[in-house]
Amino acid sequence: MARKYEFDYDLIVIGSGAGGSAAATITAREGLKVAIIEDNVWGGESPNWGDVPAKALLHAANLYDEAKHGARFGLRSATLGYNYPSIRTWKDLAIKRTGAGGNRKYYDNQDVDTYSGPAHFLSPNEISVNRRHLSAGNFLIATGCRYVAPKIPGLDKIEYFTPHTILETLRPPKTLLIIGGNEDGVEIAQLMATFGTKVYIVEESDHLLSEYDNEVCDLIERVMTEQKGVTILTQAKVALVEKEGLGKKVIVSRGGVDKSLRVDEILVAIDRKPAVDMGLENADVKYSEAGIKVNEHLQTSTKHIYAAGSVLGTNSATHTAIMESHVVASNLTNLAKVSPDYHAIPNLIFTNPGIATVGKSEKHCIRKRLGYKKAVAPLSIIGRSNTSDFRDGFVKIITDKRGVVKGATVVAPHAAEIIHELVLAVNCRLTAADLATTPHAFLSWSEAVRVAAANLILGK
Amino acid sequence: MNLAVDIVKRGNKRRSEAFDCAKLRRSIMATCHSLKTPEGQSHMIADAVCSHVIDWLENRPEVTSDDLRLVAARHLKIHHPEAAYIYEQHHMII
Repeated sequence: MARKYEFDYDLIVIGSGAGGSAAATITAREGLKVAIIEDNVWGGESPNWGDVPAKALLHAANLYDEAKHGARFGLRSATLGYNYPSIRTWKDLAIKRTGAGGNRKYYDNQDVDTYSGPAHFLSPNEISVNRRHLSAGNFLIATGCRYVAPKIPGLDKIEYFTPHTILETLRPPKTLLIIGGNEDGVEIAQLMATFGTKVYIVEESDHLLSEYDNEVCDLIERVMTEQKGVTILTQAKVALVEKEGLGKKVIVSRGGVDKSLRVDEILVAIDRKPAVDMGLENADVKYSEAGIKVNEHLQTSTKHIYAAGSVLGTNSATHTAIMESHVVASNLTNLAKVSPDYHAIPNLIFTNPGIATVGKSEKHCIRKRLGYKKAVAPLSIIGRSNTSDFRDGFVKIITDKRGVVKGATVVAPHAAEIIHELVLAVNCRLTAADLATTPHAFLSWSEAVRVAAANLILGK
Repeated sequence: MNLAVDIVKRGNKRRSEAFDCAKLRRSIMATCHSLKTPEGQSHMIADAVCSHVIDWLENRPEVTSDDLRLVAARHLKIHHPEAAYIYEQHHMII
């Protein structure tokens, strides 16, 4: 008879964020003996320093912005102001109300043992947490990623913000230079600009959000510069930063010309690296700086050790990490192994107008030389743009040659809500005709989806 | 400087021992000497590597001897790639 090894736990989850939490609770509910280890704040990035606080602040900023521009609707808003400490209190309340931030007790109630401290593998089945050795038959690594300082001369000698720490600032700075025009950089640029900060964005590529389709880049750059007064320096690089009085002096190199800027604060919104420094060599887990390598079932090179979330190096959103965590839980509790399906994952940026994408973009189709059809419906042609007096945005749908929806981009108010119709279409392989013949309510933003789908059928 | 860090020996077969910076320094010096590195340079390299290892150990109460060797070799490689190779492989060299 085969010898049965005894371990302290059936599963040890390292990291209590989106990638670890679901697997821990699901497997515990299925009767496995589970422990979870967290070396920082319980709940991980999303509820404590990521999505939840950022979106709570952006909600307040958008309300303030809309009210400020209410004169065209007959609203008197000349004396409108804000109290940033109160806005921060609102943000803290939002974190508390989600229930996920600092939620150690939640795991205790779910029969999951909790340990605080950095985890370090001693062998493939043994881990050390504060000198306490724990063994398990399976592990799930869901440690996420960390911001690391990019190699910019002088950056190590000054204090600077990351997208996490800027949410804790006591008040918006007068001037802010953002290094990196990615999703985080653009969201924070809009947040701070709305509260009156003069924002500069330095981006190495030729557009902000350079991974997105050109219509998105052009529109968001126009909104940022014309409506928010943001100065965007694309194809530019920060050559040097140094302290100058109470502020910072930044040398920006652009087209061979150096330009000097003086700003109060700097935000570094690039260079997130997976948190892999936990003695993975002792467990024979293959990894690189870019992340942990896994197979289609999210198993690492050591089969009983799984990994999920942004530690895989995919910079995944919270909902992707949750999906991966569910996959790991399923693979641990069922004999038939499943794989995560990434083809219909929505991607959101909570600017105003919001940006939401799903599936393949036009840029991707061109890069991969895929045959595709596209149609764009500008918001200005639907009734809602008139009643809301808002025209900056569009819905773009990408289909294959047979008309099956392969991807979509929405730039509109409430884009995060509108996109889910298109997520369903991509996920269930619906056609543009299916979308065009589905009744859409008059004066809803979603009417633009129907118009774009109808344009595809008509070949416009 | 010795930190309150326990070093778990290879395969967890022997008792763990407290981190001894002098022992680490001696091992790096010995590797440098084996390659006839000048005495002064050896001291400088050993100091630099020990300082990096101490930084790395700061928030880690317990690591394995393999971890220590790996981290030391990673930093030794910056200062003396040949010594780093010998340091990593010495137990395999007959």
